[in-house]
Formats: sequence, C-alpha cells, structure tokens
Amino acid sequence: MSQNPPFRKREDLDKYAVAKNAPVWLGGKKVIADRVVKTACPHNCYDTCGQLVYVKDERVIKIEGDPEHPITRGHLCLKGFANVEKINSPDRIKYPMLRIGERGEGKFKRISWDEAFDYMVGNMNRIRNKYGGEALMEYGYSGNREHMAKAVAGRLLNLIGATKLTGSFCLLSGASGSYHSVGSQHTTPPEIWSEHCELVLLVGRNPSATNPHIYPFLYRAKERGAKLIVVDPYVTGVASKADLHLRPRPGTDGALALGMISWIIANDLHDKEYIARHTTGFEELKELARQWTPDYTEQITTVPGEQIIEAAELYATHVSHMECGYGHQRYSNGHQAQRALACLAAVCGHIGKRGASYNCVDSMCFPAIDGFMKTAKVAVPEGAVIKPTRMVNIAAFATAVHKAKKPPIKGVISYRGGLISQQPWVDYTIEAVKKLEMFAVIEQFMTDDTDWADLVLPACHYLEQYGFHPSYWHHYFQTTVPVCQPYYEAVPDLEIFEELGRRMGYEEYFPRDRTGLDYIKMLVGEDADVDMATSPNGPIRFSEDWCPKVPNENGKFDTPSGKFEFYSSTMAERGKKFKGDFNPLPNFVEPDESVFGTPKLAKKYPLSVISQHPAFRTHSQYCNLPWIKEIEGPTHIFMNREDAESRNILDGDKVRIYNDRGELNDIVVKVSIRVKRGVIEFSSGMWVKYGGSVNKLTGLSLGGPRDVLAEDGIMYEYHPLLDGNTTAYFNTLVQVEKM
Amino acid sequence: MKKQLTLYVDTNRCMNCRACETACKLENSLPAGPRYTMVTETEMMDGEIPKCMFLPMPCLHCGDAFCVKACPTGAVRKRADGVVLVTKSRCIGCHECLWACPFGVPQFGEDGKMSKCTLCANAIDEGGKPACVKACPAEAIMFGSTEEISEIMRKRYAAASFHKRETVAAR
Repeated sequence: MSQNPPFRKREDLDKYAVAKNAPVWLGGKKVIADRVVKTACPHNCYDTCGQLVYVKDERVIKIEGDPEHPITRGHLCLKGFANVEKINSPDRIKYPMLRIGERGEGKFKRISWDEAFDYMVGNMNRIRNKYGGEALMEYGYSGNREHMAKAVAGRLLNLIGATKLTGSFCLLSGASGSYHSVGSQHTTPPEIWSEHCELVLLVGRNPSATNPHIYPFLYRAKERGAKLIVVDPYVTGVASKADLHLRPRPGTDGALALGMISWIIANDLHDKEYIARHTTGFEELKELARQWTPDYTEQITTVPGEQIIEAAELYATHVSHMECGYGHQRYSNGHQAQRALACLAAVCGHIGKRGASYNCVDSMCFPAIDGFMKTAKVAVPEGAVIKPTRMVNIAAFATAVHKAKKPPIKGVISYRGGLISQQPWVDYTIEAVKKLEMFAVIEQFMTDDTDWADLVLPACHYLEQYGFHPSYWHHYFQTTVPVCQPYYEAVPDLEIFEELGRRMGYEEYFPRDRTGLDYIKMLVGEDADVDMATSPNGPIRFSEDWCPKVPNENGKFDTPSGKFEFYSSTMAERGKKFKGDFNPLPNFVEPDESVFGTPKLAKKYPLSVISQHPAFRTHSQYCNLPWIKEIEGPTHIFMNREDAESRNILDGDKVRIYNDRGELNDIVVKVSIRVKRGVIEFSSGMWVKYGGSVNKLTGLSLGGPRDVLAEDGIMYEYHPLLDGNTTAYFNTLVQVEKM
Repeated sequence: MKKQLTLYVDTNRCMNCRACETACKLENSLPAGPRYTMVTETEMMDGEIPKCMFLPMPCLHCGDAFCVKACPTGAVRKRADGVVLVTKSRCIGCHECLWACPFGVPQFGEDGKMSKCTLCANAIDEGGKPACVKACPAEAIMFGSTEEISEIMRKRYAAASFHKRETVAAR
C-alpha cells in the first residue's frame, strides 16, 4: 500500500473520475472499479494515446483505449496494456536506498526519505562549495516524455547554477537539417492527408513499433487508391505492405533522395511554378544533383537504378505525402539526409497541401524551443537572479563528464532515462559515471543505472503523476493526470525536485500549495484551456496559434528569405561560427563508419548494424516484464543467409558480436530475408546486465550539423534547431562469429 | 441455426504490433505461459521482393470444432452462437484437444487444465467486443457473425479492385 512520505500532500483524485463504481470484466469476473480516469500515454511516441484507466483500492487494475480519442480511437499498443503489469510489478523500487557495496555491485540498504534528502542536500552543497554549481547537473530524457516536471527541475537547477543538459540523441539532426530549409515545422495531421493524398512516401519509420495508430490512416489512403512507397534497409511490417520498397545501404538515404531529385529535374517532372514562387537556391541544388544519375545513385545506395527511377516518377507525378521517421538521421550525415528529403518534397511542390505535405516532426515536439510552452515562466522563477551557465549536449554526455574542467562534473541526478543502456559506448559511459562523487538515480526498477548509483529513489509510474506531452504527430493534447496515489513510497518527479529545492533553502520558489496541474497551466498560458484537456474532459485540438492545420499552406516559410531554402542561408551563417558539416546544400557524405567510407575498418568489421526501435518495448523500458519477455524471446539479431553461411552460422545459433569498443556473447541469430547482405538488425534498448545492449558496440559519433564532439560536448551557446545533434547509433560496424 | 460468432483476421492489415497479445493477457488475468492469442511471423518472397506476413492466432471457434469432438469428458463445448468454451471443472488435462486442434490453440497453465480464448464471452454477452478486437491499432481483427464479416470483406475487396482498375485506366 501507499506509504505517503510526510512531506507529501495527499490529493483527492476522484475529481478526475469519468466514472465511479464502474463495473469491468477482469479474468472472467466482474470487478467494480472505484474510479475510471482518462489520461494519455507520455512514452515518447507519435501516438500519445488516449487511455481509460480503471482503479480499485488505489491500484490500477485495467487499461483500455479511450474510444473518444479522435486519432487513437480506442486502440492501444502492447505496451499500453502492459502498463498494468509494469505499475503492479513486484520488482518495483519501493523506498529510498543508499549504496552499501562498491559501485556496480548493486548492494543497498533501505533509508527514509528524510535521510535521502539529507544525503542529497549534503552532497550537493559539498560539491557546490568545492567545485561550483556547474559541477552539478541532471540527466534525463524521454522515459516519461512530459515536459512539466522537467521545467520544475530546471527551476531548481537554475537556482543552484547547475550545468544544463540540452540537445537530443534521438532526432535533432533531422529536425535541424529540416529547419535550415523549411524553418519552423509542423505536420499535416493524418486525418487530413489520408483523405487527400494519392501516394505516401514513408522514410526511415517502422510504425509497427513506433506509431501503430498510423495504420488505419495508411489503409484508408490505400483503400482510396493511394500507393505506398517505403524507404528502409530493413523489411519492416509497413515495408511488407508497400507497393514499392527501396532498401538503401544504411546511411545513404540522403544519396537516394538526391538520386530521385536528379531524375525528376533531368526529366522535367519538377514543379517549376512552385519552385519559382516559393523557393530559393534551386540552381545550386540542380548543380549538386547533376552527378546523382540513377547509375551513380545505385552504386552508392545499392538500390537498383530502375527502382530509383520508378520511385522518383511516382512521387513526382502523384499528389504525394511524405512521412519521415528518424531512422535515416541517426548517422553522422543525418542532418543532410533529412534536408535532402525536404528538398525532394519542395522540388515537386509537395509541401503545404492537404494531400501533399512534408511531415518531419511537429514543433510541438519541442514546445520549449518554439515557445508554445512558456518554460521560462516555470524554469526561471520571478525575482531570482539566474546566472547563465554552460550546457552539456546529451548526445555527448559521457565525453563531457570525461573532459569537463573548471569545474569538472561531479554530481548527477538521473531520472526518466536509462543512462548506461541508452548512451552510446557503454564502457566509456560507465567510466564517466565512476568519476562522479554523487550519482542519484530516480527509477522504477533496478536497472543498469541503479547498479552504479549511490542513492536510489523510488520513481512514480506515469499513471501516478501529472504531465504535459503534446503529440508531435497528430494535433491533439490532453494532460496526464495521476489516476491513483503513488505506490509504496514512490514520489512524483515534480515533488522530488520541489522538496529538494525547499531543503536547499529555496522555500519561496517552491510553494507547497501548487500541484502539477498548476504548473501545466503556467506552461500553457492562455493559448489553451487546460481544464478542458484534463480528465474527465478529453483531448483538445491544439490552438491554431500553436500549429496550423496544414503547415506552409500559404507558401510562406519561416526562413530568412520567407521561402523554402534549397541553399540554406542559416546553414552558411552558422557554419561561420561553429565547426561541423554546415554545407548550405544537402551534399552527401559517407557516415563516419561505413563499408564505403572507412574500408580499412570494414575489413575488420564488415557488418553494418541497424537498430530498429525495439518492436515490443520503449527502448529500455518494459524489457523486464514477463509478458514482454515472452513475446520478445532471447536477445537476437537478424542476419542475411549469405552472411550466415559464410560464417558457418545456422538459424538459432549463438554468436559473439564485437568491434573495438566492446563485445557481446550468446546472442541468438535469426537467419532472415529481412536484411540485405552486409547488414544485421539488432534492436536497441536491452539492458546491459541482460547481456544484449547494442550500445556496447555503438560509437560516440554524432549526427550534425554542429560538431559538438570537437567541443567535448560542452557548450556556452546552443540552438537545438540550428545546431542539431543526434547520436549516430547506426554508424556502427561489427564482426559476428559463431561461438 | 443461430448466427455463428467468430473472429476474423485481415492478414493484409496485421502489422505485428502484438497489442492483441497483451490486451488478451490483461483481459484474462494471465501470467506469462498460457497464450490465448499469438502473432506468428513468417517471411516470404513475393517474386523477388522479401516480405513479412503476420498472422494472429486466437481460437477460431471452428464451425465443426475438432477439440469439442476430441474431448472425452465434455469439458469443451460449443454454444449455440458458435463460441467454443471450456468447463475447467470437467477438464482432466489429457491434452486430447491439443492433439486435435490444427492450430495449436489449447493452452495449459500451471493447473494443468486446458484454457483458451473465450471470444471474451462475458463481454460479448453484454453487447461488447473481444479485447483483441478493441485493442487492434490496425483494425485488422474483426468480430461478428460470419455473415457480417463476409459482407465487410466483400466490400473491401470490391473497393480495392475498383481502385486497381481505376489506376490502370489512368495510365
């Protein structure tokens, strides 16, 4: 049962009930739930599903999809339902714990919340006095991708003058590349394009794992007669539904786009009127594209020339909608790959139309950057003097911890992210963690991170706390509300940072009468009625001030020229200031590690690893749950038959996978037609202690445009959309041998 | 005869998200072990093009159910509306139903007795839908009488052929 720590106020949650004393079937029995609450899943996914959660005795007993959600329409993914197993798992961390063994041993003793705060306050003050406030920082990402608690944590970190964590290891390379040509970017929502398009071009996206609710819209478009072209090196579920599936060599999506642009221009299929009225730099792009003939593009991408021509002609001559994922931008050239795709859309005039739009990511993904969310109101408390501090790019976190001086980084509070399993190059990351004097981890389970922690705090499941997570794919949002009281001694992230703030002497900035909902209202401001988006009310459509229904419909772009920029003036400008690949044109450069780009290395390590988003997990989350383990089976890779035969490997054999950075043993091989020769598929996110983390092998290389590794990941000025950065997870080359 | 209820999976739509599997586990309060539905993945060459096919395998509630005939104790029975159910108290755990079922549907949990998909009989008797049908994001799993499902499939097929003809004509 819930043992509310003394500093917590218990809030009555019945106000959020859409129904009370509601009967529901469970295991063949009718159970009466005390309350049913509407909420949304904040697990960093396009869909942001509407959920109905049944609660009995402050325990979640059942989750269903909310049939009234206009996009997710009552359906959930497997993780949505598995949240019942997750929140009720006997393995959850139940109370604060302090390390008693060596780091990495995973030995702890139970302590009280008071002792836990004393430990944190004592250590943080000691580190601050000895090295300065910038020796402290947070680590957090999208385990729960809501923005409110992060903003409140930001308030405390600002007050103590900590180093700021910024950037992304996920999609900012692509988002930045795109931004340099398009400016502020939004998506045309699926209910619109699916009714108007004649063709969908889906690039680098595996919606079965990341965006299952796109399917009814894709099928609707197909039933209307639309064609589907999928670009992916791997035979995904959606690729299996495609009319045409292009399988480029990993890291060459940008080259493929240039090949299509080249054919389209050479054959006079481009939209001359659109180009003349709404774009700049076309002549420069034309010059760049000239060399990308079908033959040359085939040489680089390994996609047959006739397929490139077919795709180019189909795309150019239909009302074509482009839907981009994030796979193709997880290479060192990822920013230019995304920009080449944007240019492909613009060359054909397929932007800003109901059926022909270019969807990369909606700016609602970064509500703090584009100003929808008034982060400063929360993160910068009125009346406080906040000094600007240095920043660390999350994509180069370990590098920054290793290299930072004046002051070194000595204390980290980690939450909402699997640091050790998700950061590239596990061994290097663990070495960085070892250098810390305080590593506090707020977690739901004993993960790789808690093993290395000094202090472990019991985190709330998202169903036990407030949150704000607008979708970055469709145009609806609803608040995430606590459906039940926190389990055990768990405390919402928000309240941990508030209480820490009070105990560090900032009582006035963390008033006790504020709830998560109050902070969400501060963030959203007047643009939307938060109460209407809060259970028992349903999701609401974004205000048109936030994002237009069909972006760029008037042909205007938020760039310096007001036009779509094939030749990006902001790239050229930014390149004068910072190192990196700021080529104003989407030129193709081989990834940092690739069979063509680094042939010497490829002799030793001839196989490219692509890591699809784990099909049945959210990265490192859910992988300890029995339901999910049963579906997923042992950690495995997919390998092409020829590669397997040449290594004497049979289906089901166990192998060793290795490169200079590390090795993994006992990985099961599935011999498969899903990957081409020279490529293996190895899903991300598996815990290191389970023996299957692909990040043991992944390098530090980053997607651009800015080369923050040259700056050791430590920055004094940074604009996420101008500078980008994504961990180039897919640059990885390895060798595989039978055990 | 009363209308026969069944599940129908449009395999052209299933895309391997496995939502049906955990929805089913939750609905039936099942631990890891017994699986009332399971998505099978297969790989095939469509000419020169590699593709994956996915097939969720719940109980098909067969018209002439082999498991019912094989059960020596009458524990497996077929209701008038076609739903095949097990009376656990009558099951002796002999596995005859598993031998008889062409699809490997019968599951045996820790109690050693057969259990399987009930078509969420409790819910459908109140006018609801089976959990997997409600869950499916691809809207691939359908529930209804054989006549209703056949009608939907015929409409979808006709629409698809119509568009194919239209596209060919446009060329």
